[in-house]
Amino acid sequence: MAEIAQAANSSIAERGSPWRELLRKEDWWAIWIGLSLIAVAVALFAGGSSIRWIAVAPQKWSRLSDLALQLRLHGLQYSALFVLWSVAFGIGAGALGIRISRFLASFLLVYLAAACIYFLGQWDQAAHYNLEPPLVALGAGLLISNTLGVPRWLDPGLRVEFYIKTGIVLLGAGLPLTLIAWAGPVAIVQAAIVSLATFGAIYAAAVRLGLDRRLAATLGTGGAVCGVSGAIAVGGAVGARKQEVSIAISLVVIWAIVMIFVLPILARALNLSTGVAGAWIGTSEFADAAGLAAAQTYGGYAGNVPGILGSPDAAVSAFTLMKVIGRDVWIGVWAFVLSLIATTRWERTAVQGRSSAAEIWTRFPKFVLGFLIASAAMTLITRGFDYAAYKKDVVPALVNPLQALRTWAFTFAFLSIGLTTRFREFASIGARPFYAFTIGVAVNVILGFVLSTQVFGGFWNRLGQ
Amino acid sequence: MNPRGAHCCLSCTRFEQAPAALEAAMPGLSSLSSAYAAVRGEDGICILHERYVASTSSCASFAQAFA
Repeated sequence: MAEIAQAANSSIAERGSPWRELLRKEDWWAIWIGLSLIAVAVALFAGGSSIRWIAVAPQKWSRLSDLALQLRLHGLQYSALFVLWSVAFGIGAGALGIRISRFLASFLLVYLAAACIYFLGQWDQAAHYNLEPPLVALGAGLLISNTLGVPRWLDPGLRVEFYIKTGIVLLGAGLPLTLIAWAGPVAIVQAAIVSLATFGAIYAAAVRLGLDRRLAATLGTGGAVCGVSGAIAVGGAVGARKQEVSIAISLVVIWAIVMIFVLPILARALNLSTGVAGAWIGTSEFADAAGLAAAQTYGGYAGNVPGILGSPDAAVSAFTLMKVIGRDVWIGVWAFVLSLIATTRWERTAVQGRSSAAEIWTRFPKFVLGFLIASAAMTLITRGFDYAAYKKDVVPALVNPLQALRTWAFTFAFLSIGLTTRFREFASIGARPFYAFTIGVAVNVILGFVLSTQVFGGFWNRLGQ
Repeated sequence: MNPRGAHCCLSCTRFEQAPAALEAAMPGLSSLSSAYAAVRGEDGICILHERYVASTSSCASFAQAFA
């Protein structure tokens, strides 16, 4: 009997080991994969070579014969890239407990579909027909999953967060640490204002409508901090009903998908620069993957749509600073504070929770560390180059290939969002949670717009230039 | 009771925290987040009370794993 108890306790200790998390959480695998790719790219660059052979990306084309030529010339590279991603994500998926063979079977289709979308986006008429790759990936995925249906065997390869986090780590390599240090404080201030206002609006409306405080807090954090991740972090911290967490997830996903289409359309109608639009999307979108789809779409307008100023990358950069640095990193603090309030102030439930400051680190989105390390490393490595040498040598051999890898990772994610969103499976929401959350959406979007365009507009414009 | 001790949800037979099971139980979770994410910590579903709770929680109906 004692041996059984010892085995149980040992199992518990192992399950709680902080070291185990390094292999069992996708945040860490996004770091390992992203930083490994950057390390290989830097090593090749230092040796006078480049990773660009395998970091292949479709080029602009106008006729099908051009497209066929690209495929013929670079077919081997696309095959090698598939092997690279399969090995990287396959090892990660295996460590997470997903059967590798099932992951790879699914990932092959994800890769092929992503390649089609990436190529379509490089068609010289794509902007004319509004065929922005993120929207095409999302729209096609949504259409398939909600009409034809997606077979369950595809699920293992549809890992939205795994791909998006890996892409964000790679994105760090393109953002100088000096820029993060310069823009980070503004992003934090702007995000704090909007997060507090949005949470307050949703929470107050929900309580006034007679909803349970735990549901109110879960809805509020889902709308104010980091979407579905915020909802599950706080739902667990306060001990919400399972059904309440499901309601919050459904509302966040529905509104996040609506905003992927609405925010770029509004920003385009208002001729916002890419930096300002990225900041607005970063303030008012609910999830990283959804926001990056909207921001990348808007970045694609630069140079293609008259009146849209700023560099294409500025939308994604401003979004990332606002969402990742300004909002995501605070989720542990929100969870800790709300768990403290839940255990000391709210009506007790049958399950007794406990509050601990350790939650701040436990729930910290670790992939942000990879993003910052990538940024710091690249800033250090490229500091010896003057601007001309940077443009001539570093950008084509190091920066552009990493950007291509990032775009691949993001495309896998955008496609996976659509293919995993099956509206008919969502929890029944009910009118009151819908009203409460929608009030928060209105506050979030309007306040985010005012702060991004009026209060800090000049700042975000400068970032875009 | 120590939070890692035998009487918290983590060691209860009615506590479900396998990521795949959580994603199946809460549709939409994998669309814009993940049960494999760090923000989840070790939270899971209490099958008895139908609550989504932290693994360090406890209740009077605890059922020891392996018991």
